[in-house]
Amino acid sequence: MSNTGIGAPVRRKEDFRFITGQGRYTDDIERPGQTHAYFLRSPHAHATIKKLDVSAALATPGVVGVLTGDDLAKDGVGGLICGWMIHSKDGSPMKAGAHPALAQGKVRYVGDHVAVVIAETLAIAKDAAEKIAVDYETLAPVVDMNAATGKGAAVIHDVAPDNRVYDWHLGDKTATDAAFAKAKHVTKLDLVNNRLVPNPMETRAAIGEYDAGNDAFTLYTTSQNPHVARLVLSAFIGIAPEHKLRVIAPDVGGGFGSKIFIYAEETVCVWAAKKVGRPVKWTSDRTEAFLSDAHGRDHLTHAELALDDKGKMLAMRVHTKANLGAYLSTFSSCVPTYLYAPLLSGQYDIPAIYCEVEGIYTNTAPVDAYRGAGRPEATFVVERLVEVAAREIGQDPAAFRRKNFIRKFPHQTPVIMAYDVGDYAASLDKALDLIDYKGLGRRKRDSARKGKLRGLGFSAYIEACGIAPSAAVGSLGAGVGLWESAEVRGNPVGTVEVLTGSHSHGQGHETTFAQLVSDRLGISIDQVAIVHGDTDKVQFGMGTYGSRSGAVGMSAIAKALDKVIAKGKKVAAYALEASEGDIEFKDGRFSVAGTDKSLAFGEVALQAYIAHKFSGQELEPGLKEGAFYDPTNFTFPSGVHVCEVEIDPETGVTKIDRWVAVDDFGVVINPMIVEGQVHGGIAQGVGQALLEGAHYDASGQLVTASYMDYCMPRADDLPSFRVDHTTTPCPSNPLGIKGCGEAGAIAAPPAVINAITDALGHEDVAMPATPQAVWRAAQKAARLAAAE
Amino acid sequence: MTTVTMTVNGKSVTANVDPRTLLAQFVREHLRLTGTHVGCDTSQCGACVVHVDGRAVKSCTTLAVSCDGAAVTTIEGLANGAELHPMQAAFREHHGLQCGFCTPGMIMAAVDIVNRKGHVLDEHTIREELEGNICRCTGYHNIVKAVEAGARAMAPGAAAIAAE
Amino acid sequence: MAMTMNGEAVLPAPRETVWAKLNDPEVLKACIPGCQSLDMASPTEFAAVAKVKVGPVSATFKGRVQLLDLDPPNGYRIQGEGEGGVAGFAKGGAKVRLEDVPEGTKLVYDVEAQIGGKLAQLGGRLINGVAKKMADEFFGNFAKAVNPENAGV
Ligand code: FES
Ligand code: FES
Repeated sequence: MSNTGIGAPVRRKEDFRFITGQGRYTDDIERPGQTHAYFLRSPHAHATIKKLDVSAALATPGVVGVLTGDDLAKDGVGGLICGWMIHSKDGSPMKAGAHPALAQGKVRYVGDHVAVVIAETLAIAKDAAEKIAVDYETLAPVVDMNAATGKGAAVIHDVAPDNRVYDWHLGDKTATDAAFAKAKHVTKLDLVNNRLVPNPMETRAAIGEYDAGNDAFTLYTTSQNPHVARLVLSAFIGIAPEHKLRVIAPDVGGGFGSKIFIYAEETVCVWAAKKVGRPVKWTSDRTEAFLSDAHGRDHLTHAELALDDKGKMLAMRVHTKANLGAYLSTFSSCVPTYLYAPLLSGQYDIPAIYCEVEGIYTNTAPVDAYRGAGRPEATFVVERLVEVAAREIGQDPAAFRRKNFIRKFPHQTPVIMAYDVGDYAASLDKALDLIDYKGLGRRKRDSARKGKLRGLGFSAYIEACGIAPSAAVGSLGAGVGLWESAEVRGNPVGTVEVLTGSHSHGQGHETTFAQLVSDRLGISIDQVAIVHGDTDKVQFGMGTYGSRSGAVGMSAIAKALDKVIAKGKKVAAYALEASEGDIEFKDGRFSVAGTDKSLAFGEVALQAYIAHKFSGQELEPGLKEGAFYDPTNFTFPSGVHVCEVEIDPETGVTKIDRWVAVDDFGVVINPMIVEGQVHGGIAQGVGQALLEGAHYDASGQLVTASYMDYCMPRADDLPSFRVDHTTTPCPSNPLGIKGCGEAGAIAAPPAVINAITDALGHEDVAMPATPQAVWRAAQKAARLAAAE
Repeated sequence: MTTVTMTVNGKSVTANVDPRTLLAQFVREHLRLTGTHVGCDTSQCGACVVHVDGRAVKSCTTLAVSCDGAAVTTIEGLANGAELHPMQAAFREHHGLQCGFCTPGMIMAAVDIVNRKGHVLDEHTIREELEGNICRCTGYHNIVKAVEAGARAMAPGAAAIAAE
Repeated sequence: MAMTMNGEAVLPAPRETVWAKLNDPEVLKACIPGCQSLDMASPTEFAAVAKVKVGPVSATFKGRVQLLDLDPPNGYRIQGEGEGGVAGFAKGGAKVRLEDVPEGTKLVYDVEAQIGGKLAQLGGRLINGVAKKMADEFFGNFAKAVNPENAGV
């Protein structure tokens, strides 16, 4: 391992600009002549718009434009799309209601976009928005998922008269039912996966700009995948063809999924820029973010696990209702289906699984991928079921898991996935050791003496990352392929630029990708620049989500680097007057085997560009190579997280006393960065388990729309974490990487709830387990104990 | 419009502002010092922390005019030329940032904690004192480590000790 | 989100006076906190504009108010809805009943309202307190208005 190569905890190259206040986020950008947009949003959950009069707003001095859904229609601007087709059990396609960027006759959730006011200043735009007269006729709000599909519920989209987007299933129902019929023990659980708001600290923002001379648009936006944004804006929404639309995602302050999607505001800014002939800027405030960023999770699930007389798992049966909100967001349809059900096998050898999912419209903000996307929901089901099953049959939860672990690889699960490699017992053993499982009994007694309740919870998770083999996702309904691209440019002086379709919004690509180059080319990371986030610079890419940048994005870079080295060998052969077959490349030098003749990478680069030695030959000048990498399989990071809590039954406060994470991410490029990803993921998972919950009241008002009411994890809510790993390199990509970005958020929630229920002695605790909820559960525990 | 004069990062600035202009707006929009961020509208995230007369304030809820005559330091004014402030260096060394959005506020708050609580800070104190700053990326683990190390490095003579 | 409030106030005036003042737009306009205009469309219908501040949300509400179930001089029901533009909306009603008591007249009220938009998102936790304060202010003003000593009001 060199000190900047693969495996080194290199300090991040990007940090200097951030710690000195020189990061450049979208809202930091100011374009000449820039105007400001303010969106008038619906205060009603469900209403028809009978009259919309913007004349007074338009007449306000300083206002340069007021636009509505009618204007969109007149310009032929298409609606927002959902890019993954899901078919119901009966083969019918999902029911996607129209999703105009500005409402056309009807609003469907509080925060839905009614009109946009564009003015010289934001203050003028806001004041003018007050003058827009809207005549709403309110309709009955549909908020509760169970009521949504019932008789008499108001209809949100005419295409879905029962408010069902789809009624989907996966797995073998007959085999599963048969296994249940002969089961010795069946564990049943009803679970709520609480609704979350992603809350990257940088809110969304956009600046649309139009260059009349070239009839071309530029959109600066907070995006995790600028190329996908451009594709959707041009091919589906029809703003401009791709060669006339440049999308730039500069520094982005966190995404966690919520910045994958193509939203109304960005679309409107770029379209409006041409209408008003000036750049149009919009920056979300935090309450707007709560209202209109796609939310996450929000499942109601009934799950059952069948066991034989020895405690071997026979089958699993799951029924889930997934809230998709008022409209289908960009990838929402696949989250509770193909990103969820295929993970229900967890780390376990379960012969039969059957899962049914109903996707449901409600008058709430759209729900889409949030860190983990489907996989945290699946892991919560599996790991709660497994824990409760162990408790019910009186087996140690660690031993019960170990007994049911998959041991032989590759392993085909009954729900699509073919796991390639793993060693689940190794992670569990290490975790038991690090948490001092043997000492748990003593620690429980110590807590009891202080009047406290102590509990320990496991979560043995698996996730499918490295999204994804294009053919596989295509056959499942995806509208795109999920490969990645890279271009490596060797410059004449020997420095290197890497153009990547991945996007960094906190992941540290400028460092880890440079480490790969340093490792392969033997040059310093300071001689490497990573270029990303601009569709005019990078040819095409699918962006960053699903922990794919390492496994897929870096694999593309590795492929391009291989081509650069191969080309370098040809150039070196001419320069060193040797045959190409005799050229070796090692530690940054091209040398002729068995001689002391060699050239450094930089010298070969120069030769490649001056082309003096091979002019007129078949070899082309230059040292620039591109590659597309399409993965052959998903990758399967896995691991065991253990959470130990101490609860004060008097106050209901849950203190996380210790946390052990043992993850298997395959090959790790930069352990410092990977650990940071794990920490952040755990914090979001703990947030879900203990603190966070988006709540709509019965009338469809979002009553958790600021940090006053939506409880974000803060420093004093969390412990320090013990993070360790085991390694089984991923066989399906050239680097052996599996991915690490979502593991913590996937693993954490069931670990916390398993710990709390262990401490309390009953299973009736829902997320978020706030002090109030835990206090009530502790009261119930005391009543149960008294009754015994 | 009201005239306000203050010293920002050592330079005197005078501007005509709408009296309702917030300090955060003032530094970001008028002075184009965009290192100070705005992450919420209810004064709860701390992304906007700057120092006014040596004390941390949330610039999103401070009126620019109330800082008339004050000395304001933003993240851009913390380093001494090319030489990072010890707290900045500690955040890099301990990977106390990911997306970097909360970072300026975190660093400014951390320096203030050291000014108030001294150079030896335990984990518990740091976590409690960071209550007003939200980070969505790091899980705080490495921020806590960075603040602890940064605090030590800020002690007079710390560089000399480290060099020994 | 729903908001409910009820209470009573004892006013130093006979029931007929209280009833008359309750139907007098000028008096109501003077007494409703933040009320900027109250125009009669008919004896039982007003168009009102009021400025209201709930925590971080301040807004000018424009709305219609109707008086229903008139039972002079015993009480009525007020029904109304107001749009506060970007701040959201409020709609609902109040039952008002008058009773003779030795000190004058007791007014008993029972309010049920729905609020939405920014008011609910940011002011939700404050709305009950603000409503109570506004009610107190109203009755403070109203008590002065009905007091025969201030006959000029
Ligand atoms: S922006 Fe100042 S506290 Fe959030
Ligand atoms: S580093 Fe992203 S919010 Fe803290």
